[in-house]
Amino acid sequence: MRTHVTAAADMTAHTAIPAGTPCASAVVVAGLRKSYGAVQAVRGVSFTVSRGEIFALLGPNGAGKTTILEILEGFRTRDAGRVDVLGADPSDRSEGRALRERIGLVLQDIAVEPYLTVRETIARNAGYYPAPRAVGEVIDLVGLAGQQRKKVRNLSGGQKRRLDLALGLIGDPDLLFLDEPTTGFDPNARRDAWEVVRNLRGAGTTIMLTTHYMDEAQALADRVAVISDGQIVAEGTPATIGGRDTARTRIHFTLPPGWTAAGLPVEATQADGLVTVQTAEPTGTLHQLTGWALQHRTVLGQLTVDQPSLEDIYLRLTSHGTPEPRPQRSTR
Amino acid sequence: MSITTAHRAPRRDAGLLWHQIRYEQLSFWRNPQSAFFTFIFPVVLITIFGALFHGGGGSPYFYGLSALQYYVPTIAALSVLGSCYSQLAIVLSMRRQDGILKRVRATPLPAWAYFFGLLAHCIMISVIDVALITGIGALFGMPLPTHWPAIALALVLGAASFCALGVAVASLIRNAEAAPAVVQLVLFPLLFISGTYMPIHSAALNRMSGALPVRPFNQALLGPFAQHTGSGWHNLAVLAAWGAAGAFIAIRRFRWNPRPQ
Repeated sequence: MRTHVTAAADMTAHTAIPAGTPCASAVVVAGLRKSYGAVQAVRGVSFTVSRGEIFALLGPNGAGKTTILEILEGFRTRDAGRVDVLGADPSDRSEGRALRERIGLVLQDIAVEPYLTVRETIARNAGYYPAPRAVGEVIDLVGLAGQQRKKVRNLSGGQKRRLDLALGLIGDPDLLFLDEPTTGFDPNARRDAWEVVRNLRGAGTTIMLTTHYMDEAQALADRVAVISDGQIVAEGTPATIGGRDTARTRIHFTLPPGWTAAGLPVEATQADGLVTVQTAEPTGTLHQLTGWALQHRTVLGQLTVDQPSLEDIYLRLTSHGTPEPRPQRSTR
Repeated sequence: MSITTAHRAPRRDAGLLWHQIRYEQLSFWRNPQSAFFTFIFPVVLITIFGALFHGGGGSPYFYGLSALQYYVPTIAALSVLGSCYSQLAIVLSMRRQDGILKRVRATPLPAWAYFFGLLAHCIMISVIDVALITGIGALFGMPLPTHWPAIALALVLGAASFCALGVAVASLIRNAEAAPAVVQLVLFPLLFISGTYMPIHSAALNRMSGALPVRPFNQALLGPFAQHTGSGWHNLAVLAAWGAAGAFIAIRRFRWNPRPQ
């Protein structure tokens, strides 16, 4: 684990929490349950986030992601289950301050005083932590160097999100929670934000994020848990989750008018003119198909070969046919 | 498992409090509209009363005081109510609804430091308000008070008590849109029966309003401002009791999170 070694008093503060607890896991959740009235928002969720990794909770809106995150952050109480964040129980208010000195939060909603400048807002929060990062360093890190004298009210939506990220980072946290960090970002801003998050992991920060973007989970996470309807339906690395690595390769193509899939040398399905062949032996199957096309003096149009994407897995895992009720959010 | 507060250097907490007070001030003065309107209402009110009543002598209607001798302390009390009770209740409701309080709660800043920052701010605004009102009163021929320690004591106790009541009301208000209406609904009748705008000559009414927070505060300022006496310990005791009740509700009921839809 990372410890701050700036002041003796703070050392005691930081070593006080994990005493007697194993340091391999930053977050341990077991059998977590939470209901809002009759709606069961979280139904027996268990997972572990190891120190130094990026862990993503991936799921549709209303699946329970934010509820889980807010329980870990200490904003909500739980109905049942065990929760351990950096060795402390976030619902234990006597440890709240010491715990908050070591975690950083980026909430879903932007909420900052509108009349302070970017630099002042970050400097104010820096004063709340025992060993904060340098204000200028954080401004550079989130890409607000040109805006640091601007008042918060004059920032664009994307710039406000960057400011929110800066506020999550300023305390130099061991563990950073990001609740849908790039919602509303343009593609360039997203890539920049991903780069920031990867660099943080490189520096040893553990990161737990929620997202409903498959590409975000794929690009960032070391491990992903797919959550649907308050339950984890799959967990693994982005490459292997949901049996993705062992799933059959898919070959798609179109045939010229007059040709049908029935004449092909392999089993195939055809929908809207697009032929799909699933195979466990892509090299041989592809050779058969192209050989067949050359022999019959025809072409395989728009030919693509792919593995099921994370999106395919995600859609398969999270589709129920019925829309689930949306649990209450903590915001308005 | 040890609790870190015990290890924490008191010097760091003092520094933290100073830091919070500074930034609370900065946020206030950076918003020119809020800064302007905080001071303009009591100033306009005392100017109107001064223009209407200046030069008048003592009258039985004002308990033997001149009209200005009566109105300078009651308008001063009104300004403290405005900046401590009304403003604080409304600002906290808005900050909660906007999620700003939740964001504060996400940092290690302790709740006491946040509220002391607000209290220090409210006391400072109250001191400026009272100084402005006393100064304008002096322009209309009202002699300056001499019992400054009694005024300072009543002012700080009043500001703290009305801040506590402001936080208590903010704890009970459900949404920010309703905040100004609720705040006024509570305050406006109280101002009238407490003699802020006109002296009350009903012993029964005075007994009743004497047990509520506004009249004791008026009386605590009227003494040192106009009659060159102290504030009256019973007035300060009633104020302190209301402050304690407000603080109790605030501690029990205050919410940082916006209410779910």
